Amino acid sequence: MRTYVLRRVLLFPLLVLAVSMITFFLIRALPGDAAVARLGAAGAQCDTCFDQVRKELGLDKSKPEQYWIWFSDAIRGDFGLSTATRQRVSPELRDRVWNTFQLGVLTIFFTLALGIPVGILSAVRAGKPVDYILRFLSILGLSVPSFWIATLVIFMPVIWWGWTPLDNYVGWSDPLKHLQLLALPAFILAISGSAYTARITRSSMLETLSSDFVRTARAKGLWERVVILRHVLRNSMLTLLTVIGLQFATVLGGSVVIETIFGVPGMGAWLVFAVSNRDYQIVQGVTVIFAMWFVAITLLTDVLYAWVDPRIRY
Amino acid sequence: MAQATAISAPVVIAAPTLLQRQWRWIVRFVRTQPLGVLGAAIILLIVFAALFAGVLTSKDPVATSTDILQKPSADHFFGTTRQGKDVYARVLYGARVSLEVGLFTVLLSVMGGTVLALVAGYFGGLVDQIISRIADVLISFPSILFALTLATALGKGLTTMVISISIIFIPIIMRIMRGAVLQQRSAQYVEAARVLGATEWRIIFGHILPNLMSIAIITASSTLPAAILTESGLSFLGVGVALGEPSWGGDLSGDSRQFFQIAWWMAIFPGAALSLTVLAFNLLGDSLRDTLDPRLRGVR
Repeated sequence: MRTYVLRRVLLFPLLVLAVSMITFFLIRALPGDAAVARLGAAGAQCDTCFDQVRKELGLDKSKPEQYWIWFSDAIRGDFGLSTATRQRVSPELRDRVWNTFQLGVLTIFFTLALGIPVGILSAVRAGKPVDYILRFLSILGLSVPSFWIATLVIFMPVIWWGWTPLDNYVGWSDPLKHLQLLALPAFILAISGSAYTARITRSSMLETLSSDFVRTARAKGLWERVVILRHVLRNSMLTLLTVIGLQFATVLGGSVVIETIFGVPGMGAWLVFAVSNRDYQIVQGVTVIFAMWFVAITLLTDVLYAWVDPRIRY
Repeated sequence: MAQATAISAPVVIAAPTLLQRQWRWIVRFVRTQPLGVLGAAIILLIVFAALFAGVLTSKDPVATSTDILQKPSADHFFGTTRQGKDVYARVLYGARVSLEVGLFTVLLSVMGGTVLALVAGYFGGLVDQIISRIADVLISFPSILFALTLATALGKGLTTMVISISIIFIPIIMRIMRGAVLQQRSAQYVEAARVLGATEWRIIFGHILPNLMSIAIITASSTLPAAILTESGLSFLGVGVALGEPSWGGDLSGDSRQFFQIAWWMAIFPGAALSLTVLAFNLLGDSLRDTLDPRLRGVR
């Protein structure tokens, strides 16, 4: 166990390093120069300006040298200047990571609040019509793309009542409005996650329901409610831990589309913007944070899982 | 003599032929998995729509016309867009893109993932380390970045899409299959084959691979709808098929969004077709999983 955790922790920086290298060379392999993006098509006609901007952006150096310069700054938390705006990447990145993090936490909240009760109900009524309906609904939830639901949620109220849930992002200066604005994208992101959670909850509860200690609990005359909530659910929580970890990691992927639609200034929306603008520094910064987030969460989940359930050995 | 006759006429229990066994399996599937049958029926319908799109509508999905922003009517079943394109025709032809991307991605990623898993799982050691670590890196990479950069570098289109979505799925499938290979490798039949002098390749492809079939089918059945969803997501972000080509995800994004307020049909039909397709594949996949692997009942 200890060697396993140690190995995983040692692997962490290597993984992030590999991701940063691939990103660095991948984004530079794209057609279209960052200098052109900075100058605009007309400005790029002038050769001296072009060379000067390339020098200013450090693009005249060899690629390994550029990577080294970026790396030695990044390791100190400085992700350089944005290619297009020449603003510092790190402060804005910090804000955006925070926004995506809040979106993620809220999404997990909805995922569990929706998924667990549905899963319990489905398991307790296994084989009954309620179970079939709920299972069908969870497959439906896994199938409908979030960007379509988001589109409908934005446009249908406009058609019906001339009102839209879209609004400018305000942050914590107006806490109520802030939560209100984040709740909708989080809820939509949570739909597929909660469908998944419901199914996991159902199957792991069904497994526990057939075990001996549940029979004992029933035999000693406990209320069914107590048996389900205290005995069965508590044992199924172990599986849920993995789900939570997985969801928190996949929120990142979903955030790309949802943030773009709802105008949430998070990492996902920034990545899309930066790739199309050839903003090398932003892409690199976002990707590294993305990878660190993902690897850290999966590591944490695996370790917690083994810690909570001593039967798990790596 | 009498004894000899008795021996030469043993009780014969007719073993079912392969065809009979498959037929029984199908009958049992139909009887026990009504939702799976529903999924299969919808899939057949969608495949039919994609194959005979040219027969089901006389309209060209990319041709513009003067009938702009028409409501659904007898002439335009699903209405028209800002450029007067027929939404019904676009939905029909859009099925082709989704199905093609789904199918080719599944073929490429399940085959690629399985071969890598066999090599990594069977040989172990350094080869396994290298393949597994590369998979780790690819999984921790924001998959959207790959797709975005590949689409920008290789140009939009079906091939780019299949490649970039496969890169997302191959490492995930590799991990699942590798676990299965590790399980099989220590099985007795592998040991027996080795004792009989079978070559490594024969053991891998002749003995282990056939035993991975059911898990491969399960993986493929969950990869297909996921691939279709990813395609639509990429098209939605504007890095899918070429601009103007019919694609369900693409038709929900970009310039058309300005008109959703006044033309709800532009938003409803492509999204509904997309959701129905993914739902059908999920229903079928779920039932297949139930039938093929009882241990996984109810788990995705």
